[in-house]
Amino acid sequence: MKLRQSFKMAFKSILSKKGRSFLTMLGIIIGIASVMTIVSVVSGYNKKSMEYYESMGTNRVSVYAQRYYGSNESVFEDLYDYCLSLGDIVLGITPQAYAYSAVVKYGAKSSDSMEYPPEMYLGSDQYAICNNFTIGKGRDISFIDIQNYSQVCVMGARAARNFFDYKDPVGETITVNGIPFTVIGVYEEKDPDSSWSLDNVVIFPYSASRVFGQRVDMSQYIIKVVDSKSVNEVITRLEGFLTGAIPSGTGSYSVYSDNQWMESENEMALMMSLVLGGIAFISLLVGGIGIMNIMLVTVTERTREIGIRRAIGAQRKSIVTQFLIEAAMICGIGGILGIGVGFLGTVIAGKLIVHMFLLPSALITAGAFAFSVVLGIIFGMYPAIKASGLQPVVALRAE
Amino acid sequence: MIAMLIDIRNVYKIYGEGLESEVRALDGVTVGIDRGEFVAVVGASGSGKSTLMNVLGCLDIPTYGDYFLDGQDVAELTDKELSHIRNKQIGFIFQGFNLIPELTALENVELPLIYQGIPASRQKDMAMEALERVGLAGRSKHRPSEMSGGQQQRVAIARAIATRPPIIMADEPTGALDSKTGLEVLAFLQQLNREGSTILLITHDNSIAATARRIIRISDGRILEDVRQEVDWYETKAIV
Repeated sequence: MKLRQSFKMAFKSILSKKGRSFLTMLGIIIGIASVMTIVSVVSGYNKKSMEYYESMGTNRVSVYAQRYYGSNESVFEDLYDYCLSLGDIVLGITPQAYAYSAVVKYGAKSSDSMEYPPEMYLGSDQYAICNNFTIGKGRDISFIDIQNYSQVCVMGARAARNFFDYKDPVGETITVNGIPFTVIGVYEEKDPDSSWSLDNVVIFPYSASRVFGQRVDMSQYIIKVVDSKSVNEVITRLEGFLTGAIPSGTGSYSVYSDNQWMESENEMALMMSLVLGGIAFISLLVGGIGIMNIMLVTVTERTREIGIRRAIGAQRKSIVTQFLIEAAMICGIGGILGIGVGFLGTVIAGKLIVHMFLLPSALITAGAFAFSVVLGIIFGMYPAIKASGLQPVVALRAE
Repeated sequence: MIAMLIDIRNVYKIYGEGLESEVRALDGVTVGIDRGEFVAVVGASGSGKSTLMNVLGCLDIPTYGDYFLDGQDVAELTDKELSHIRNKQIGFIFQGFNLIPELTALENVELPLIYQGIPASRQKDMAMEALERVGLAGRSKHRPSEMSGGQQQRVAIARAIATRPPIIMADEPTGALDSKTGLEVLAFLQQLNREGSTILLITHDNSIAATARRIIRISDGRILEDVRQEVDWYETKAIV
């Protein structure tokens, strides 16, 4: 019998047993689609959070420090001086002072009536380097601005757009709690996608803190380190310095690295990948068992069919070839449908769950496809291998 | 000397050999059948008559004994050669029809032609010709479940004759049919015999065996009697 005939016969057999063929395919479709979707969404989420951390800036050390007596500015000045002495491994230092409940107005626009009001921070002339900003328009805050108590500010791209639309903000005057500040520059956009954008910020020189009064938390500092190798050294040194600068009982401090956050985030994502990947693998396995079941349930029926075919002259080889092609066709079609469903599932789940446009990874797709197809072919062949070795009369007697 | 078409010598088929419960379905059977004979093998249920047919039809292998088909020792044949014999030399008609339920009448009849490697264009013509002979050309697109028992048996007969094999083996071909349809089937077998086919008819029914020119009675796996007789030819117009 020619191969073409085998193909024809296998195709006829699939078409004539639509129910069984469909159920087999269903197992493959569900298995492949679920693995693709779950793994892709998890890895997409992981990538997104890493990108977020990177846009905030890497190799940063966060310091929380305050004295119970005396001003916080004195803490910053001490830290600033100390960091100057670490000039070869520290790129910059800034307060990260969150000015809550300050109201910014420009013309009719007011931050307290915005859906996403900007966040206001007081920082040093090194705020941009510490937070991974680069100046896009105008100029950045300078050391002179801080020394002169200049009433100036720099805006993040999102905040600038919220207040000024597409008009150039540089040189315009906004008011903070009624006091005028001049916009001297705008940072380039670095986080265009999210609603709570890192670009929705307004930065003031920290010497302007008296304008904000009590509503500024001036105890957080960010220190930008030259590379990830030096982070631990900077942490150790800062802790040593702060132990001396703030003796116990006179204040408190803590030092930690943003890299640690990233690492723990990474670990969490890995764990999530493993757990969800495990679930996905189980669903693939269940799909596989489904395939197995359907194939095995029909062994008796097929054994009889094989007996008939043998009785009218089919060679063992022809039977095995036919079943191989049949199983490969079912699994191949099911596999392709499964990839299609998994593709859709990934895109939809990406939009709904992590709000990203995600595409499934080729490796996972190929792996899931290979797994189900191999399983399907093995169990599709099983009756053929088992029954074609029997004497035809034994196969014919199968009930 | 020209070899007998079918020649078995001292054939045994033993199930559960060596056990106390061993069953000798064939217990030293020797028989020869020549070309063109119409032989009925008669016996009660469990007498070994179906086992004999399975062995003669190369559907089963004997435990001991020699089987020469057309001078060839069957024990020495490969799977490929045995498949060729079942395909080209022998046409089977079973009591339970043994059609493939998912295939149409035409597709069922085409099967042996496909396995024979007949070009696709001729398969259909030859299958239709066989269906015409059994009067079912109009039902070629029907599945077995859409046909009566008599019609299904006629499809099975068409399948058996599609490759024009010299030997037809029929195991209780009338068992599942009413007496009128059964007679039609027997008449058709006689017709094939007159055209030159060798017919082996397995039955438990003496009145059916009376159709054959030679009757072999079998009981407990042994041949009791082997007689030849004159028979009346049935009118065959009903089916042909």
